[in-house]
Amino acid sequence: MITEPQAIAGRTLRAEHIHPALWRASQLARPHGRHIDTGFNDLSAQLPGRGWPLGCLVEILAPQPGAGEMQLLRPALIQSAKQRIALIQPPYTPQIAAWANWGGQASQLLWIRPKHATDSLWATEQILRSDTFGAALLWQSTVRSQALRRLHLAAQQSSTLFIVVRPLTAARQASPAPLRLIAQPNPGGLSISILKRRGGVLEGLITLPLYTNNRSADSAHATLDRRASSARKPGHRVPELAR
Amino acid sequence: MHLPHASLDIAYPNWRVKPAVVFAQDRVKLCSPAAAQTGVRVGMRRGGVNTLCPQAESFLYNPAAEQRALDAVALALLQYTPELALADNNTFLLKVTASLALFNGPRRLGQRIRATMHAQSFGIHLSMAPTAKGAWLLATASRPQARRALKQATLQRRLDTLPCSRLPEAQACLAWLDSIGCVTLGDLRKLPRSGLQRRTHQAMLPALDAAYGLAPETFKWIVPPPAFNHCIQLVERIEHADAIQFVAHRLFEQLCGWLAAHQLAVTRLTLTLQHEHGRQARPPTPLPLTLGAPSWQIDHLLGLLKEHLHHHVLDAPVIAVALHTLETLPRAPASDQLFPQPGSLPVDHLRLLERLTARLGSDCILQPCPMADHRPEVANRWAPLHQKLVPEACIHDANRPFWLLDTPIALSVRQHRPFYGSPLRIIGGPERIEDGWWDGLTIRDYFIAQDQNGTRYWLYQERRRQDGWFLHGLFA
Repeated sequence: MITEPQAIAGRTLRAEHIHPALWRASQLARPHGRHIDTGFNDLSAQLPGRGWPLGCLVEILAPQPGAGEMQLLRPALIQSAKQRIALIQPPYTPQIAAWANWGGQASQLLWIRPKHATDSLWATEQILRSDTFGAALLWQSTVRSQALRRLHLAAQQSSTLFIVVRPLTAARQASPAPLRLIAQPNPGGLSISILKRRGGVLEGLITLPLYTNNRSADSAHATLDRRASSARKPGHRVPELAR
Repeated sequence: MHLPHASLDIAYPNWRVKPAVVFAQDRVKLCSPAAAQTGVRVGMRRGGVNTLCPQAESFLYNPAAEQRALDAVALALLQYTPELALADNNTFLLKVTASLALFNGPRRLGQRIRATMHAQSFGIHLSMAPTAKGAWLLATASRPQARRALKQATLQRRLDTLPCSRLPEAQACLAWLDSIGCVTLGDLRKLPRSGLQRRTHQAMLPALDAAYGLAPETFKWIVPPPAFNHCIQLVERIEHADAIQFVAHRLFEQLCGWLAAHQLAVTRLTLTLQHEHGRQARPPTPLPLTLGAPSWQIDHLLGLLKEHLHHHVLDAPVIAVALHTLETLPRAPASDQLFPQPGSLPVDHLRLLERLTARLGSDCILQPCPMADHRPEVANRWAPLHQKLVPEACIHDANRPFWLLDTPIALSVRQHRPFYGSPLRIIGGPERIEDGWWDGLTIRDYFIAQDQNGTRYWLYQERRRQDGWFLHGLFA
C-alpha cells in the first residue's frame, strides 16, 4: 500500500497546495483564468471552473456541422452582451432573426467567410490577438495540430471565448485543446460527452434538454385538417405521418 | 538637414557603387565616389570625364526635377515640425524646439528623420544647433562627428574651427582674409568689428552673428499645398506587387507630413498604379484603401497596404505610382475621459476589422443588416462592413432556425415522409409565410421536423405547387 504524503507530514496536504496547476486524477482542475457560465447546470458541474474557459481553445466535435453547437453555446453567447461575436467559416448562413429571438443584438454578430482555409486560420489568429471580440467561433473540417496549437497560444493571450467546431472524426486525433466535447443531438436536445478535460474521465453522457415544446405541448397552431378515417380494409397501410 | 548629393539621388540611385556624373552646362556638377577615384573632379568638362572614366553614367542637371523632389522631401519632413524652411544649397532648416518632447529627445528625433530620408532614398547630413545658421554651417561644412551642438558653448567651439571659406557671405573677400592670416571663423571673430564692416561684404557680419546666436534670424516657412496628389515616376519598371510597398512608403511618408501640417486624418485614399503608355497602353490600376478609423500614422497605413498587396497580382509592369486622398477629416483630439464612452468601438477593434477587410476582401466580412420582410431569405440580409445600410426590425416571437441554407434542398419522400438521411418526423408547424407579391409571390408552409438522431430541421412546402418538401434551415 502506498503511503500518502499527507500522512507522513501529519497534516492535510493537497495537490493544489503544492502548485496551483496540480490536481489529482480524481478531482477537477482548479480553475485559473476567467470562466463564463454555460447556462446548463449539469454541464457546468462537470467542467473545471464551472463554465466555459475564456482565453483557451475549446473543441466541440459534432457529427454534422450546424447540429447543436449553437444551442449549446447560446446561453454563454447571450451573456457576452455588447461584445462582438465572430462566426468564422460557418457551414451555413447564420439567420439574424434567430439570434434576435434568442435575445442577442443583431449588431453583435460578424460573419467572416474567407475564400481559403488558411485565410480563416489567419483571421482567427488576428481576432484572438486583438482581444476585442467577446467570442470567436471557428468551423473547420480539417485543421492541422500545429495550427490548433498556434491558435491556442494566441487564445491564451486574450480573454475571448474561443470555440473550434470540428467533425466527429477528429476525435481520434490528438489536439492541444484542454477541453474537448462531443455534442450529439438526441430527440430531447443534446447529449454531451467529455472527451478531454482537466480532471478525471467522465463516463456516460450529459443530457441537456433543449426543446420543451413537443408536438403534444405545442398547441399554438391548429393541427392539419384530417378527414375522418374511413373504414379500414384488411391489409391496409397505416399512414405514418398521421398519428 | 543638408542633402549633399540630391541630384545624384534623384537621377541614379545606384551612384554609391557605380560611377555616375551629373553635368550642368557641360561642366561636372557632382560626381559619385567611384567616378572621383578615377580622377573626375567638380568643374571638369565633359571631354575630360569621357577620357578619365568612360564607363560613368552621365546625367544632365534638371532643376525642375530637383525642385519637385525637394518639395516632396519638405512634405515628408512636415511630420516632425510645422516650422520648416528651405535654405541655400539644398538644405532644410527644421525648428524642432517644440517637437523634442513629442519625439523623445533630439537623438530619437534624429533617428526618425534619418529613417524618413532613407525611405525617400536621399543621403543626408544632419546637424543640430541652437541657431539655424549655425546648424546650416555644421551640416554643410563640418565633419560627421562634430555636427551636433546642443548648447551654445559647444556650437561656438565647433564653429570656431570651421574655415572661413565655408561661410557663403565671406566668399567675396576670401583672398583678403587669407592674406591677413585669418583662416577659421574663430580668427574672423577676433578681428575688430568696425574694420571688418568697412572692408568686407556687408552681409558677412550679420550672417556671422546669426550663426553664433547674437542676432535674430528670419525664415520663410514652407506652406504645404491644400490638396495631396503626388506621383512617383519610377526609374525602373516594377513587376511584383510587393515591390510597390517600397515606393508607397515614400508616398506615405509625404502623406503623413501633409496630414500633420494640416492637422488632418485620412479615411479613404487611392493608390494608382500606372502602366505602360504607348503601344501596349493599359488603364491605370486603382488600389483603393479604406480605413476603419481615421488615421495619420505611417506604420498603420503601411501595414494596411501590405495586406492589400498580399493578394494583389499585377496585370502589367508599373511605371509610376500615384497617391491621392479621397476623404480626410479633422483630427479628433484624444479622448481625455478615463472610461471609454459607451457606443463607440475601440480603435483596436476598428483596426482589426480594417486589416481583415484588407486581406480577405470586403465581401468576406459581413455584418447583419436585417430587412423587415417575412421571407427568411430576404429578411436575412448580410452586408459588407463599409456599406452603411440601416438595419430594420427582425421578426419577433417566431421560431426560426439559426442556420439557413442558401439554396433550399429538395427532399425525397419515402413512405409519405420527407427523407434527409433518415425519415423526418414533423413536430411543429405549419407556419404560413406569404409575402413578396411584388416580385414573385411566395406562399410556403414551414414545418419543424426532427430526424431519428434528434437533429431539428426547418422544412417547407410550396403551397401553389405541390412538388414536395424543401429543407431550408437547421436548428443549430
